[in-house]
Amino acid sequence: MPDTVKRPLIEARKLTKIYRLGTGEVVGINSIDFNVSERELVVLKGNSGSGKSTLLALLAGLDQPTHGDLIVADQDLRKATPGQLTQYRREVVGMVFQSFNLLPTLTVLENVSLPSLLAGRRRPKVAAKAMELLAWLHLTPRLHHLPAQLSGGEMQRTAIARALINEPAIILADEPTGNLDSQNGKTVMELLGNLNRELGTTVIIATHSDLADPIATTIIRLRDGSITDWICTA
Amino acid sequence: MHRLTPFFRIWTWFSFRQLRDHFWRTMAVLVGIGLGAAVFTSVRLAVDASLDSFTRSVDALSGKSDWTVLCPGGRAPESLISKLIRHPAVQAVSPLSTIYVETDNATAGPILLIGLDPLLDRSFRVWQPEPSDSAQQSPHQTSEIGNRQSKWLELVREPFTLIVGEKLYAKFHLQTGQSLILVHPQGKKSFRVLGKLAPQGLALVEGGEIALTDLATFQEFTGTNGFVDRIDLMLKRSAPRDAADQIRALLPAGVTLEPPAELKESGRLMVRSYQLNLSVLSFVSLFVGMFLVYSLISLHATSRRHELAILRSLGASSRLIFFLFLSEGAFFGCVGWLLAIPLGSFMVKHLLAHVSNTISHLFVRVQVDRLLLDPWEILLSFSTTLFVSLLAAWQPAHEAMRVPPREVLQTHESGPAYPRPARNLALCGLLLIGLVWPLSCLPGTNGVPLAGYAATFLLFAGFSLIAPWLLQIIGVLVPPLLRALAGEPAYLGGRYIRDAGTRIAISVGALITAMALFVALVIMIHSFRKTVEAWVTQSISGDLYLRPKMAAANQYRDVLPPEVVSALKGLQTTMDIIPYRRMVLHYGRTSYQFEVLDFDSFMKHAQMLFVEGDAQLVLPQLEEGKGVIVSEVFANQTGIGIGKRFEAQIGQTRLDLPVLGIIRDYRTQGGVVYYSMKQFQELSGDTAWSGVRFNLAGRESSTEDAVNLLRSQVLRVLDQHQYGVEITLGRDLRQTILKIFDETFAITTVLLLIALAVATLGITSTLTVLVLDRTRQFHTILACGGTRGQIRLMIFWEALIMVFAGALLGLLCGFFLSYLLVFVINRQSFGWTFMYIVDWIPLLVASPLILATALLAALPASQIVFRLPPAMVLREQ
Repeated sequence: MPDTVKRPLIEARKLTKIYRLGTGEVVGINSIDFNVSERELVVLKGNSGSGKSTLLALLAGLDQPTHGDLIVADQDLRKATPGQLTQYRREVVGMVFQSFNLLPTLTVLENVSLPSLLAGRRRPKVAAKAMELLAWLHLTPRLHHLPAQLSGGEMQRTAIARALINEPAIILADEPTGNLDSQNGKTVMELLGNLNRELGTTVIIATHSDLADPIATTIIRLRDGSITDWICTA
Repeated sequence: MHRLTPFFRIWTWFSFRQLRDHFWRTMAVLVGIGLGAAVFTSVRLAVDASLDSFTRSVDALSGKSDWTVLCPGGRAPESLISKLIRHPAVQAVSPLSTIYVETDNATAGPILLIGLDPLLDRSFRVWQPEPSDSAQQSPHQTSEIGNRQSKWLELVREPFTLIVGEKLYAKFHLQTGQSLILVHPQGKKSFRVLGKLAPQGLALVEGGEIALTDLATFQEFTGTNGFVDRIDLMLKRSAPRDAADQIRALLPAGVTLEPPAELKESGRLMVRSYQLNLSVLSFVSLFVGMFLVYSLISLHATSRRHELAILRSLGASSRLIFFLFLSEGAFFGCVGWLLAIPLGSFMVKHLLAHVSNTISHLFVRVQVDRLLLDPWEILLSFSTTLFVSLLAAWQPAHEAMRVPPREVLQTHESGPAYPRPARNLALCGLLLIGLVWPLSCLPGTNGVPLAGYAATFLLFAGFSLIAPWLLQIIGVLVPPLLRALAGEPAYLGGRYIRDAGTRIAISVGALITAMALFVALVIMIHSFRKTVEAWVTQSISGDLYLRPKMAAANQYRDVLPPEVVSALKGLQTTMDIIPYRRMVLHYGRTSYQFEVLDFDSFMKHAQMLFVEGDAQLVLPQLEEGKGVIVSEVFANQTGIGIGKRFEAQIGQTRLDLPVLGIIRDYRTQGGVVYYSMKQFQELSGDTAWSGVRFNLAGRESSTEDAVNLLRSQVLRVLDQHQYGVEITLGRDLRQTILKIFDETFAITTVLLLIALAVATLGITSTLTVLVLDRTRQFHTILACGGTRGQIRLMIFWEALIMVFAGALLGLLCGFFLSYLLVFVINRQSFGWTFMYIVDWIPLLVASPLILATALLAALPASQIVFRLPPAMVLREQ
């Protein structure tokens, strides 16, 4: 595991997540250690059940570790209260999902504005920022459309804009191209690459696809909840 | 404000649009809540209007008096006035008498004649003649004040003159100087109308259908010379604290001193139980509406789990999610209440007449002339509706806030959260049902059966909690049977019931509540009617009844004139003439009728329905004057039953007698106490008759012709005195009593039908939403080879099982509830019980109707589910 000079953005020590299902247990993440520095683009690879989504869920503050430490942007996620995790999700991370997860009753502009409004920011500024992001993503003609009126690629670009609205330190993408055709998939990966290169945003992508390999600074392979491979490409 | 604005925006985006996009199901819930709120509010407003009319009349009559001298069951001697006015504590005295009389146009209805001393009364009550127009002014009436003064001076100077209320003036198209003929048991008299009262004070009593006359005229007209109904007193400011006791010491036996508020409170107390019962009944519609709100919000929370997880993943707190759903409840409450305004306005217009008639018949006479929109009632209506809706939304909101954000990563359609074990809910339900019996044993509080009402709601809650378990049991045991009987769709329908959990149990709970209420009220009303029929047939068995005109309205203060009594005694015919003496008295604040009659003659033609005591033993003792018998209402309201003593001061006569038995008696306006006429006449010297019943010898003689002949004979012997009496055929009286009964319960029946309508609405909307929620499942079945017909059958069997479970539990709950209504709530509210008799026919007819209605409710859903083609529904999002 490579060392970094500054304090890493993400530090994990003996990170473990165990799910209790009925009378049995399933180990989602099995005591892994890793660091991620700022401005990295990390790709998590592995088959279904390898623990990619579980790890992403922990990093996103959607779930909490069972054992071990996970410190992201100086916040100890294992000891965080539900309120602190909510705050974390608002300010530190932005998530992009495989199935886009746009709210069906909100327009494109409203979907993108939502995280900022939840964070208590003032609407005029939020709307302006949202429109700027959507313009960058070539979605201006779709501002007032509902998700049902968008194509897959447009929905994912909207989701990316939503993930960026609060200027998070980290973007987490869980199979962002899983529901897209190859062309759109390529476009989305390029976008994520641009975010990392040009804006300096740390990006972590969980994916089966090889599309992310060219833009990755680090590739981590997982199997059965453990890290089997760690490749620095930068 | 800074935090509210983003919240409202998010609520609009997330919740309001969902409600708007599913317009019909939202409207179904809004209409349900609106109907419930409308019923609740309009019933209360109607009763309040009647009470307001009564209160204003009593207040206007009481005026500024501090105390009132009364003679219960009779009239106070006028000679007391000079004694009272000389008391150092008394500043002013005003005698007053009132009586209901008819005009010679009997169909126009009764009017209230008030006799007062215009000079003495000035400082007590507000009344003012309106000035005449200039054409009618006499030359020396140079001013408006002079005009008015001349009118009431004329009232004093000239006998048999009247100043009438505005409504009466208009009703009879009167002019100043015109005559108005009034009819009293003592005879008819023509009065000259001096003018109209200005619309204030006394003029507002009885909705303005009053006439004012001088006290001396009143006494001459009614044959009450030397007596007045009441003497009002105003005390000096410097009066000592024990002034009332000093004044009481001056009064003879049988004359009391009461604060004016006592009269008002006595009347209000009588109406209060009726008001409360109607309010509770009307609240049931709102309660059933609550199930609708719960059902829909619960379905929203479940079907939008993934969206909730998205919101959580984006930084929404669980508290925000909670308030989003709670606000949905607030939306239904507020908008539903607004919808109730037009609905309630329509209802109250129709309810007002019914409610005021019922109150007039059963309790106190009211003449409603205005609908009072009391701000507190409006606030109560709004806050109750809002509270009920928020309460309904609380649990789904609480469930929604617990959706973990990690669910956002699930790509498949998430199923319902693990349902709570139905068995635990059923055990809680049984516990609640078990609490019903000890609660129902608790006594009422000031005539209010609070524990009884609490027991009722525990019953509803208990049976509703059993519903999920029953549905699960049905879902486990029945599907294999259904498969054998009706094939695979029936099996799948039954399996869904097993797994659907509390989602459908709530709607079934609404149906249980409505069904239980229906069953209980059918049984209660039927039991009550059959008992009243038995009482009417056995106790009101006279062939002909005669009493002074307006006797009931005037509380039997007028007796039959001696000439009438002589004429009746002289009747030569084969019949029994059974006179009675009746007075309205008070025991504390409880009003009752004291009645004496000849029991030997009475029992030849009638029976008394004994609740306690042996008729064979009691009646001989009663005739010998060794005790009294009391009605169940009297016993329950005063606590004076067998083993206790009845005490009363009637004029100069003091009675202190044991209670020998308790009987059923459903006459209106309070309980009754019976005593021997012979003994009472010996003790008091009062030989007057309040009325007479006639019985032809033998039942077979009581043909219609024979009774009509008897009536003609009576009218003949009475001659001109017939104008002062009411003669009613026994048959007509019995029918009238039953008609009053039926009209009283007409409102109850309407309220019940509304509750059933709301519950049906609930079932319709729930079935529709449950089906739409599983559109993907149904289309998957289609994709696997199922037909539309098979899917419709599935939906049909689900609906049938749900409704069957609801109807079955509702029927059972209804029987329990009927016992509560008959033996607890009615007894504690009104003092009466009745024989418990089940009428199976309406139950057998109505239950399948309810089933059929609910099944029809499933039809829209089974059409809507196939609106989109399977390919569109099943494609991956």
